[in-house]
Amino acid sequence: MPADARLSHTAAMILQAIHAGHIYGFSVMQMTGLPSGTVYPAMRRLERDSLIVSRWEQQSIADAEQRPPRKYYRLTRAGKATLEAAYERYPLIEKMIPSPEVERA
Amino acid sequence: MIGDRLSSLLARMNVRTASLLVPRTDRTGWTAEWTAEIHHLCHAGAEELPGEVNVDPVQFSVGAYQDAFWIRCDRLRSDGLPDLRSGSALRCTLVLATAALAAFLLGLVLPGARTVLLRLPYRNSANLVLISSHGYAGTQSPSITFADYEEWTTDTANLFTQIAFYRPTVKGVHVAQHEGERLSVAQASDNLLHLLGLPGAGAIASPATGQSRLLITQAAWRKLYRGDPGIVGRTADIDGQPALIAGIVPDGDWRLPTRIDALLLESPDQLAALAPGTRGFVVARIRNSAFPPPHGGWRKMVETRYGVTSDFDCISIAHLAGQPSLVFLFALLMASLALPATTALPLGEYPHRRDHLPAIVNARRWAFLLAKFALMMITIWLFSADLAYGFYPSNPVSALYVQLAAAFPALLFGFRWILQDQRRRCPECLRRLSNPARVGQASCNFLSWNGTELFCARGHGLLHIPELPTSWFSTQRWLCLDSSWGCLFPEGYSPSPGMV
Repeated sequence: MPADARLSHTAAMILQAIHAGHIYGFSVMQMTGLPSGTVYPAMRRLERDSLIVSRWEQQSIADAEQRPPRKYYRLTRAGKATLEAAYERYPLIEKMIPSPEVERA
Repeated sequence: MIGDRLSSLLARMNVRTASLLVPRTDRTGWTAEWTAEIHHLCHAGAEELPGEVNVDPVQFSVGAYQDAFWIRCDRLRSDGLPDLRSGSALRCTLVLATAALAAFLLGLVLPGARTVLLRLPYRNSANLVLISSHGYAGTQSPSITFADYEEWTTDTANLFTQIAFYRPTVKGVHVAQHEGERLSVAQASDNLLHLLGLPGAGAIASPATGQSRLLITQAAWRKLYRGDPGIVGRTADIDGQPALIAGIVPDGDWRLPTRIDALLLESPDQLAALAPGTRGFVVARIRNSAFPPPHGGWRKMVETRYGVTSDFDCISIAHLAGQPSLVFLFALLMASLALPATTALPLGEYPHRRDHLPAIVNARRWAFLLAKFALMMITIWLFSADLAYGFYPSNPVSALYVQLAAAFPALLFGFRWILQDQRRRCPECLRRLSNPARVGQASCNFLSWNGTELFCARGHGLLHIPELPTSWFSTQRWLCLDSSWGCLFPEGYSPSPGMV
């Protein structure tokens, strides 16, 4: 997906949540307030469009904590560019879900 | 605590159920992600969960259905439509189903065929009989004299709850504002519609005086009176006799012998003007306590008058209406018996080893074969009924012969094609095999193998068909190939559902 492609508000919120460090589906859902039936399909599409990538947690870490491994997501370079383009369209997103750089500043 | 465990269990069950929607290749990863999220939701401490909303695991897991649904939709979009290429099983099934649907729609368009396809509109039709003096032959033309009918109206109260008479005639009918027409009119006793128990019989207008009532069939009303809605309630002149036009009989409601354009209902006094020897049809509703409904088709009724014994047949109207089905079943039986003379019945030898052809693949193959047989029978039944009753509606006997003549060869060659088609399909993906190649030379060496080989374009295997069946190679044989052969085939190896 090109960086100037228009994201929906939901997709932009999810991208921003992942960018802000909420890297699991459930935490994205908690942060955005969107239902699970919206968040997970949207993340699948974002991954299909190469805006985010997923990775499984190491099995050894999950085993040490006696729980199943989780899948976590991070933004790709294209995802970051698309999100920055989306800030112009949805300026409040950054304030609603502050990214780590903004929080540090 | 128990509530938490129950919620967790229900949430996992939801995820498991939803996972069935997810394509098989993605299912394991998808289920693992949702299970991990639910585990986290159920076991993480409150401090780990951001936000203030307390999320119920069951409510959370409902989203899995939406997620699974979208994954399935995305997969369908990326894969395109299901395999509808030439030779695919789905395409073959769709073609047969389309033919069946086309035959059904054609039957609905042809009035004669429509009456065969739709069920009898009469109330409790198992108790309705047509009385005939010449068995089934007597149901095609009037065979009962009016004198017999008149006597039965009083004498047979213990056998029949109601009895009615009608006789087909041709009369000149003139209605104001319309041209006079010669119509096929059934002159009937006024209790006929009530006896049949037609749904709209009670709503038919009654004349104030003892005037006759005329009911016009919907087809005649459309054709001769151009669907004029104001015709009901007017008085028609029928060969100089006035009759009130009491209503329109819907298409398909008249299922008794002889084709009619109109029904003239007359009181017993008016009917009494008929000569005693006038022949017509007699319809009766049998009394259950007298004898059981004639499910087998007919029952004999014996009458002795002035020392002379006469016998009549009470033939079930439901049985008469079911004759097209009986003729089709007879054609089906004949075609099944003749089938082995036209083609071999075995479908060939296929490996029974579980790792080659799992049960689900075999079940799919048999289900496809059964679906073809079922669709073929439905299509031929509908087309034969359309041909026979759509084009010969006024002559039921000719229609039966036409139906038999059409259904038998169609079933025979249809079944033959189904078996031959099944033998030429890959048992795994059910597509038609291609690229036939002659192998060996006939008569060069009597014992060496020669025949034809075909292969599945997806690389599932090869089919060997012997030219001359021998004791060691009597029928076609399927050779399964594993995925390592895939690079040799044009469409590459793709495992069908159920294959390891």
